[in-house]
Amino acid sequence: MSIEFNKVSYIYSEKTPFEYAALHDIDLLIKEKKMTAIIGATGSGKSTLVQHLNALLLPSGGKLKVLDFEIVAKEKATNLKALRSHVGLVFQFPEYQLFEETIMKDLCFGPKNFGASDEEAQKKAIHALKLVGLDESYLEKSPLDLSGGQKRRVAIAGILAMEPDILVLDEPTAGLDPQGAVQMMSLFKELNQKYAKTVLVVTHDMEHVLNYCDEVVVMKKGTIYAHTTVKEFFKDTSYLDELHILPPAIVRVRQMLNERGFHLPSDCYDMKQLCSAIAKEVKHHG
Amino acid sequence: MGNFVLGKYLPYDSIIHKMDPRAKILAMLLVLISIFIPAGYLGYAILAVVIVTTVLTAKLSLKFVWKSMKPMLFMLCFLLVVNIFAVKTGDVLIAFGNFEIYSDAVFNTIYIAVRLMLMIMVTTCLTATTKPLDLTLGIEDLLKPFKKVGVPAHEIAMMISIALRFIPTLIEETERIMKAQASRGVDLQEGKLKEKIMAILSLIVPLFVSAFQRAEDLANAMEARGYAPGQRRTRYKQLRFHFRDYMLLVCSAGLVAAVAVLALVL
Ligand SMILES: Nc1ncnc2c1ncn2[C@@H]1O[C@H](COP(=O)(O)OP(=O)(O)OP(=O)(O)O)[C@@H](O)[C@H]1O
Ligand SMILES: [Mg+2]
Repeated sequence: MSIEFNKVSYIYSEKTPFEYAALHDIDLLIKEKKMTAIIGATGSGKSTLVQHLNALLLPSGGKLKVLDFEIVAKEKATNLKALRSHVGLVFQFPEYQLFEETIMKDLCFGPKNFGASDEEAQKKAIHALKLVGLDESYLEKSPLDLSGGQKRRVAIAGILAMEPDILVLDEPTAGLDPQGAVQMMSLFKELNQKYAKTVLVVTHDMEHVLNYCDEVVVMKKGTIYAHTTVKEFFKDTSYLDELHILPPAIVRVRQMLNERGFHLPSDCYDMKQLCSAIAKEVKHHG
Repeated sequence: MGNFVLGKYLPYDSIIHKMDPRAKILAMLLVLISIFIPAGYLGYAILAVVIVTTVLTAKLSLKFVWKSMKPMLFMLCFLLVVNIFAVKTGDVLIAFGNFEIYSDAVFNTIYIAVRLMLMIMVTTCLTATTKPLDLTLGIEDLLKPFKKVGVPAHEIAMMISIALRFIPTLIEETERIMKAQASRGVDLQEGKLKEKIMAILSLIVPLFVSAFQRAEDLANAMEARGYAPGQRRTRYKQLRFHFRDYMLLVCSAGLVAAVAVLALVL
């Protein structure tokens, strides 16, 4: 029931002078019910990769398996709509997809397309709106009258209302204020833990990777450069330097202290642990 | 959408790509005129040979040109149907009971189709070999003489260049919104009429919202940088006629003359 890429490649505008190979022979296995971060420099193919998950892009080569659905290059894919009801994809800047007169109608749009009755759809809509931290007073407002951050929440709620098993988010926190970003990430974590959803997040923020994700996939020039657990990933800072990734603050503090003579364990990733480790060592010396 | 090729610039390296946009625009107008001169089979054969040669000289593939003609096929089919019902001259080709199809109906359609195809080929030769920006510079220069009679040459050119600039952006935007709505279960291919209308609405509304937003942002950004429409301005890129440009004009003028003579003789 997981997500499995098998030698997937993707070429934009194939067989034209504008041809561009964005993915090369991707082999990737994403575990069910985990929260996985996808990172990499801009243009490395993250958005291209995630659009394969609900068959918005079909592979030019190879095959992929998502839940029970199998998509093979050059074969006619069937049942895409069913796949899309199981995989909710939130695009970069999703606020541009709002279009109904009221937020209620916009939230009901997805569920209804997938065959929910009016009542069911409304129930799902109200629930989704609560999840993203907006109250029911918003339901009758026009989505176009909201602030940018509120629009983003409504757009994400529009996908949550479809109650997908797999939630894919392409830079969901870009352009949000720091507090809003933390709230969003906590929400995804909650969906992952409380509702057992598989979550994939494309992000540039290493703090988010460290604090919320279980696994991390690093992309580079259309290939998978690394795929490990988050803890493993931030252990070895020389590796991060090689990738030109600035580690999260806590990893940097630990690294600097170790360079100046401390011997802090490489697996402490929160403030409390780090502080007690430092205290222990200071006492030991004193 | 990615397959939409009508009017697309193709960055090859050919002598036609290097020519002055003004010469190319004038040559295109001349060839269009010659297409409208009724010079019989021979005339169209000559034009077809000249135009296909031009297409190949520009290193464009005939497949690309064929693709840009595809949107017109529907129109031609429609025309054929209208002609079949409206034109009742010439010989009877086929008869179904008392409904008859006349030869002139078919010939008329072919005649229009040939002219339309040649026209599209000529315009494709221009748009595929000239960067949109050069095209607007050329249009602006060619319109300059008409400034005295109140034609706002610069403003027209600016409007065209902005419009051209935003076509790819809007196509990209359309694609993106389509994908976003497809993720929410919109299916543009299947579904009942009501669902289809809803699907189109879910595409059009966000597209308009963002287009207006963009227009406003652009206007503000231009004003913030001191853009005033009537102002005299200099140009970074100066257009210059070369020998090849004069040759192009002479040849196109020759083509018009040849076709005109042919039409008079026949
Ligand atoms: N519609 C398209 N047509 C042609 N090329 C494209 C298209 N979309 C993306 N590309 C190219 O594919 C490559 C990968 O793009 P992609 O959007 O997947 O990058 P990304 O990793 O998501 O980057 P970012 O972090 O900036 O969002 C880029 O080099 C881009 O130029
Ligand atoms: Mg991206």
